[in-house]
Order: sequence, then C-alpha cells, then structure tokens
Amino acid sequence: MVHVEIKAEELFSIGPLIVTNSMVGAVLASVVLLLIARWFTRRSGIVPSRGQSAIELPIEFLAGVVRGTGGKRWRQFAPLILGIFLFVLTANWLSLLPGVGTIGFAEEVEGKQIIVPFVRAGAADLNFTLGLALISFVTFIAFGLRANGVRGYLKELLIAEPAYMTPLLTPIHLISELSRVISLSMRLFGNVFAGEVLLATMLALTTATVFILPLAFVIPGVFIGLELLFGLVQALVFALLTMTYITLAIAEHREHESADDHSGEAPETGTAPAHGAA
Amino acid sequence: MGPDSGKDERPPTANWAVAFDLGIRLGISVILGVGGGLLLDNWLHTSPIFTLIGMVLGIGAAMYTIWDVAKQSMRR
Repeated sequence: MVHVEIKAEELFSIGPLIVTNSMVGAVLASVVLLLIARWFTRRSGIVPSRGQSAIELPIEFLAGVVRGTGGKRWRQFAPLILGIFLFVLTANWLSLLPGVGTIGFAEEVEGKQIIVPFVRAGAADLNFTLGLALISFVTFIAFGLRANGVRGYLKELLIAEPAYMTPLLTPIHLISELSRVISLSMRLFGNVFAGEVLLATMLALTTATVFILPLAFVIPGVFIGLELLFGLVQALVFALLTMTYITLAIAEHREHESADDHSGEAPETGTAPAHGAA
Repeated sequence: MGPDSGKDERPPTANWAVAFDLGIRLGISVILGVGGGLLLDNWLHTSPIFTLIGMVLGIGAAMYTIWDVAKQSMRR
C-alpha cells in the first residue's frame, strides 16, 4: 500500500544529522543540475544542438523576464532567480519519475504494512520550501538594506507617516513582511504535496480497477501530465515572486531618492521606480 | 528596446506570480494576526483581548497588502 505522510520519513542518520527521503530528493535534484551544467559547459557551441537548445530555452525565457522587470540591477540577482527556478523545477519533475515515492522499504505502522519511499519530492517537505523562502527573504532584505542603508530600511519598515500612526502601522508592516515568507513556502509545499497525494490516490484507485486496462494507464497519465505543468508553474511563481520582492526593495529606494533629490526634475530614463514590481 | 528605455517592458508573466501570491497572503496575514493574538492571550491569560487586537491587525495587514500591490500596479 502506498503511504503518504506530511512529515518527511527518516531513512538513516549520520551522527546528529537525520537524513530524510525528501533530503535525498533535493540532493538528487542538485546532482542532476550539476551534471547537466557540466555537460552543458563542455558541449555547448555557438550553433546549438537540439539538447543545448532544450536547456537554453527555459533559461533564456526567464532571463528575458528578469531583464525586462528587474531594472538596472537585474544582473546582480538574475543568477539567484535562475538558480531557484531550475532547482525547484528539477526537484518537482524528478518526483514524477517512476520509482520516486513508490520504491522503498516496508514498515509496519499500527498493524498495517506501508512503504517508506527512498526518494520523495524535495518540495513535498516544508523544511525544503521554508529554507528556500528564507533564502529569498534574506536576499530581498539584503538588497533593501544595500539600497536604503540600515537606518533608511528600518525607518521605512518601523516608522509610519504620519508618525502618530506608527503603533498601528508598524505591526501591520511586520505581519505583511512575514506573510511573504510563509506564503512563498506554504504555496510551494501545498501544491507539491497535494500533487503527491493526488498521484498516490490515482495510482491506488487505478490499481484497484486493474482489469479495466485503459483506465489504469490513461488516468495516472493525465494526472502526471498535469503535475508536469504544475511543477513548472510553481517553480516559475517562486522565482518570479523572489524577483518581484527584490525589485520592490530596490524600487522603493529609488522612489525616495528621486523624491528627495530630484524634485521638479524630469524623470531619469531607465527603469524607473514606478516600473519596479506588480 | 533595452531595459533602460524608460518604457514599461514588464512581461505579463511576472504579474501571474503576484496574482498567485496576493490571495494566499491575505489569508496568511489574518492567520498570523489571530495566531499571534491567541499565543499572547495564552501566555498572559488575557483572553480574548490580544486575539481581537491580532484579528484587527491581521485584517489590516491583509488590506495593506492589497493597497501595496494596487499602488505598485497603478504606478506602472
């Protein structure tokens, strides 16, 4: 019987480090990405082969989006955005390979035999998505600090205008900022985990109706196709939101700068603060 | 036309992400406010004062999030 649990299952431990099946999934995704990068750097040519084109296509697409949205400093954070996108995408798509989530060791829980899979989708573990969200959070705070300075950033975050509204607006600001991390992590986790549960359920249902052969092949196939799409969309959403938050942090600074220093002047050419984000 | 042309070249793709984000952030803001209030009330034995304050702040944060996103959109 296929068993799905919210918490990632422990496989073994190395000293104090407990290795779970979702960690194996995340490490596998990293290894696959590294191997592709190694292959790509050795084989890439000016005239791209089919394989090279297939790899360059998503990268060029996202690089175009970052270039069009990220303003003048897009080169500083483009590698992070692309890295997050490719990592989440690879982790999501690896989880759809045969054997992932279905091959494991048998364990008895409450008198029932269950399968504890050796590999599980990395993003089907909240620790993975929360870790990525924290990286994103720290990055956009760092860009905000660099653009505004520590004093300017804290003033922006903690002191409201007019000043007497500060006791009310500061907690609201803080809750709004914190909601970004939780939203980033919960969305990715929720979607990938729900996908895992859906596939496991469909697999169990179609195994039960194994004598109606077309159903046993067609229904899981349809849902795997949908999961391919959702995996891509979720990776894209995570990467684009990180980019939007970073762009916002920089744009707010430029907005204040232009209000303070260039009042009455024509706006600079370039990606103005108004073009920052959403 | 390059990114420095001054014209908004923001691809529509980037707006999907914000749309996906907004709905979830509204809910999370309220949950954070109410959850924080409940924790404070349990700790200080002042139920339901901080729960109510947290709820108001959470709803306020949700409205602030909408305003913030709308403000950014209208600037473009």
